Order: sequence, then structure tokens, then C-alpha cells
Amino acid sequence: MNVTNDKVVNVSTKFMTYLFLAFTVFIAIFPFIYMVSLSLQTEADIFSGIPVIIPDVPQFSNYADIWDLAPFGRFVLNSLIVAGGITISHLIFDPLAGYVFAKLEFPGRNILFLMVLSTLMIPFFVRMIPLYIMMARLDWLDTYQGLITPFLMSAYGIFLMRQFMIPIPTELMDAGRIDGCTEFGIYWRIILPQVRPAMATLALLTFIFQWNEFIWPLIVVQTTAMRPVTTGLTLFNQEYFTRWNFTATGAVIIFIPSFLLFLFTQRFLVRGVVLSGLK
Amino acid sequence: MAIRSSVQTKPVQFGKYNKERISSKTRRAIVAYAFLLPVIIYFSVFFFYPIALELWASLRNGLPLVGESQFVGLDNYQQIFQDKRVLHSFKVTLIYSVGSTIITAVIGLILALILNQKIRGRVIIRSIIFFPYMISVVIIALLWGNILDPYVGILNSFLYAIGLDGQYWLTDINAALPAVISLVVWQNMGYAMVIYLAGLQNIPEQYYEAARIDGASSLHLFRYITLPLLAPTTLFITVIGMIGNLQAIAPAYLITRGGPADATNLFAYHVFNVAFDELRIGYASALAFMMFAVIFVLTMIQFKIAGNQVEY
Repeated sequence: MNVTNDKVVNVSTKFMTYLFLAFTVFIAIFPFIYMVSLSLQTEADIFSGIPVIIPDVPQFSNYADIWDLAPFGRFVLNSLIVAGGITISHLIFDPLAGYVFAKLEFPGRNILFLMVLSTLMIPFFVRMIPLYIMMARLDWLDTYQGLITPFLMSAYGIFLMRQFMIPIPTELMDAGRIDGCTEFGIYWRIILPQVRPAMATLALLTFIFQWNEFIWPLIVVQTTAMRPVTTGLTLFNQEYFTRWNFTATGAVIIFIPSFLLFLFTQRFLVRGVVLSGLK
Repeated sequence: MAIRSSVQTKPVQFGKYNKERISSKTRRAIVAYAFLLPVIIYFSVFFFYPIALELWASLRNGLPLVGESQFVGLDNYQQIFQDKRVLHSFKVTLIYSVGSTIITAVIGLILALILNQKIRGRVIIRSIIFFPYMISVVIIALLWGNILDPYVGILNSFLYAIGLDGQYWLTDINAALPAVISLVVWQNMGYAMVIYLAGLQNIPEQYYEAARIDGASSLHLFRYITLPLLAPTTLFITVIGMIGNLQAIAPAYLITRGGPADATNLFAYHVFNVAFDELRIGYASALAFMMFAVIFVLTMIQFKIAGNQVEY
């Protein structure tokens, strides 16, 4: 695709292109740099009314103090348990269902698959009121199971795994059957090893999106101790007064896992994002 | 593998084999349903049952699901059309969704067109632009909340420094909605770019070569080849964007609390408040179902597009 790459490359077009790119990159990255800067400032620095990028005396102590100001360690632990638990559940159930829909023939398959797919169009805010009431009746408000169970599997994950399993040759499975493999053995020993990269993508996307989940914890969590990092962070953000420096410090702490995951796995991630859309 | 697969001849001609096939067929169906059991239970309990509960609650007054309630038929749905706050919220949500979806798509397309060329460092640039999409909306809301703060924010300080007036970005009735839209565009432009890049890479190079031989200018190439061939991608991005934006709660909750004067009172956020602050469960359920209907139609369109794309 070479729209502007004709023989007569207009110098000014090229200049404008680079200017636009530079501006966009700046806009995309600046808030994160500024966030790190804020996290190293004192409250006096921030309310002086003269914003700075590099604080005179960087307050690294903010990163030590935040753990005392709010149970931030607990928040991180809660998020790890919830996002981790949900991710593990997805890795157990999504490929299993994907396999059944991709490779087994049985009456009712298409109807069941359509029903699973139809859940894709149910927005979360339509489920949130009855789910809240279900959790209240089960006495699961403010518990890990309350935070985890509404997200145990996803139609998206099942669909993704199915797409990756369809191309696997059926001969492999037949060979397994002849060698005396059980049906589960065929899935476990023959199919699963073939889709490991797809499972990595699924795990990454699930973990990151659950780590970022905000609305459900807001509804179902009642005590400070059960908050995950997302709603925990809003503790510093009160209606009339915001402790910006600690908000930023907390934001950096939440941001680090996503950033590291992104840095080392972005090829997987981007492919997963594209596949979820175009396939 | 090839040797083994040759064993797989179908012995249909023998009666007893036929019988065995049927029994193995039944056995496999049992296995399939056994594997699917957790999935069937899960989706029934956490998707279909809640939807049924919500539908039931939407037909009732009082405290359905939590206490006493009476059947009122479609009253809750009728009430929606007289509720000025809801109608206003619907209008705000429409502006928000259409605005951010279109702007995101346009910027994403421009970025994809530029970054599909051989530009130095394009891989890193793509990553940087995509990155905000992966970050929690909480961080983004708080971050921009600070940057846009009228007193301590760096944007107003910058504007003063170059001799312009600062704005009450998030508390001015005219500025709040555009500001919130900008944040959403900022977060999602990288996603649109990535999808457009995938779309661009699917266009065969020969089309361009052929057109160039016929003397087409780059503007013509874009207008008559790139844009039409990207149409499915564009539809996909806009429909996905609309579906996502129509159900957004977090931007309103975190950045503006729906204010000032309901200027950013997004529909899903309004439903959230009607349900959990005002405890009008029946009415909130009806509201949720209305939006569900809109999203349902949009999703059907998207499935149709997705179906066409697989063929393409």
C-alpha cells in the first residue's frame, strides 16, 4: 500500500506526515510519563499551581508510603487472585468447549454453538442487576467467588479456540483412537499441544482485561479489604479532594504488570486482538 | 501419520460394522455432552437465567427480586418515553457513541495508512499508539482527570504559558462531553489502527500496480481501491465501537460523575444509578432491556458482516 509513496514524493506531505506521527506518539505516551512524574511529587509540588515534569526532589518515599496509606498490598493480592482465577478457568473450559464444537459431531451441535455465540451480544450492564441479586442471595457479596464466578468462561474464548482447532487434521485424532486413546486423551494429548500459542494469547487477553475490570468490583465489593487494584485506586480520588501524587503512585503500580506483559508479548496480544475481530 | 490415516477406510458394507458405528456415534455424542456440561450450566446460570430475571423484573413495580413487587405490564417501558432525564441521557449517549466511534475510526485509518508504509521505527510507533488500549480505564480516567484539572492540571498551565485561556474542561457544560469523547478516542485509536492495518495488508498489491499502469493518482488509488476494499473493516470497527460505547459506564462514573448538569450522563451509568442508588430495580431493568434491544440489532449487523468477511 503506497498512497503517498508515488515517484513524486511531495516533501511537504512527508513533513506533515512525520509531524502528525510525532504529535500522536507524544499524545499517546505523555500521560504515562507525566503519571510517573506525579507519583514522585509531594502534595505541595502539585498544588503549587506550576506543574513540573521533573520534580526537584523526587519523592521515592511515595512508593513506600502508599502501602501504609491504604492496604495496597491486599488490593494487588485480590486482583491477582481474581484475574488469575478467571484466567485459569478460561484456560480449562474455553479450549474444551472449542474442541467439542470444532471436532466432535453430535446432534444439537449447531444450536448449542449458536446459543454460546449469542451471549456475545449480552452487554454486561444488562446482567449486572440480576447478577448482583443472585450474589446477594448466595451470600457471595464481598467474596472472591462473587468476583470470579460471573466471568468463568467466555463465548469469545470458546470461539477463538474453535477457530484454531478446526484446521487440525482429523487423521491425527483417528490415529489416536486406533492407538487406544480415550476421548479425553485425544483432546489432552493430541489437540491441546497444537494450540498452545492460541492459549497463550487467550490467557494474556483474559488476564489483562480482568486485571482492568472496574464495574463488577464496584458493585459487588463492600469492604475496603476486598477491593481489587482498580477500585482500590479510587480511594485516593475523593469527590472534593484528590491526593494526586498517591493516585499516580498507585496507578504506576497497577500499570506495571500490564506494561511488562505488553512489552514481552505484544505480538501475541495484537494477533489475538485482530483475530477476535476479523475471524 | 500418513500410514495410520490410510487405515481409516469406512467399512459400511458390513452389517455388524454398521451397528458398531451407530453405537460409537452415540458414545461420541455422550462424550460431547459430557465435555460441554460445565459450559451449558455456566451459560444457563450466569447468562440466560439473569436475563430471564431481568425481563421478569422489568414488568414489575416495587422491589422486584429483593422484596415486595406488583405486576404492572409494560408500564415501566412506557414511562421511559416520558422520562426527560432518560431521553436526555439517551441523546448524550448517542452523541458520545457516534462521535467517539467515527473520530476513532478516522484517526485509526489515517494512522494505519501512514504506518503501513516503510517508515523508520514503525513497529515501535505502532506499539506506543496501541498501548493505551491495554490500560485500565481507571488509570486513564484519573490520569486525564489530573491533566485536565482547571487548577493543578498541566494542560491549562500550558495554555496560560502560550497566552491562551484555560478551560474548565470537565465541569463546563459545553466542554465536558467533548473532553470525555477525546479521552475515549485517545484510548481506542490504537485498536482501530491495528484492525485497519490488518485490513490493509489483505488488499492485494496487484490492484495498485494495475491501477498505476493505467495512470491513476495516489488520491484515486485511495478513493477507488483502498477505501472500498476496507469497507468491511470500517463497518466492523464502527459497529464494534458503537456496541462498546453504548454500554460505557466507567468514563462517566470516573471522570465526570455524569455531570455537569447531566451533560455526560451516559445511559448505562444512568441505569447503574437508577438500580443501585435509587433502588428502582424494575425501572432500571426496563431501561437496560431497551438498550439491550439497540445493541442486539447492532450485533446482528455485525454478525452478518463477519459472516461475509469469512467468505471474502
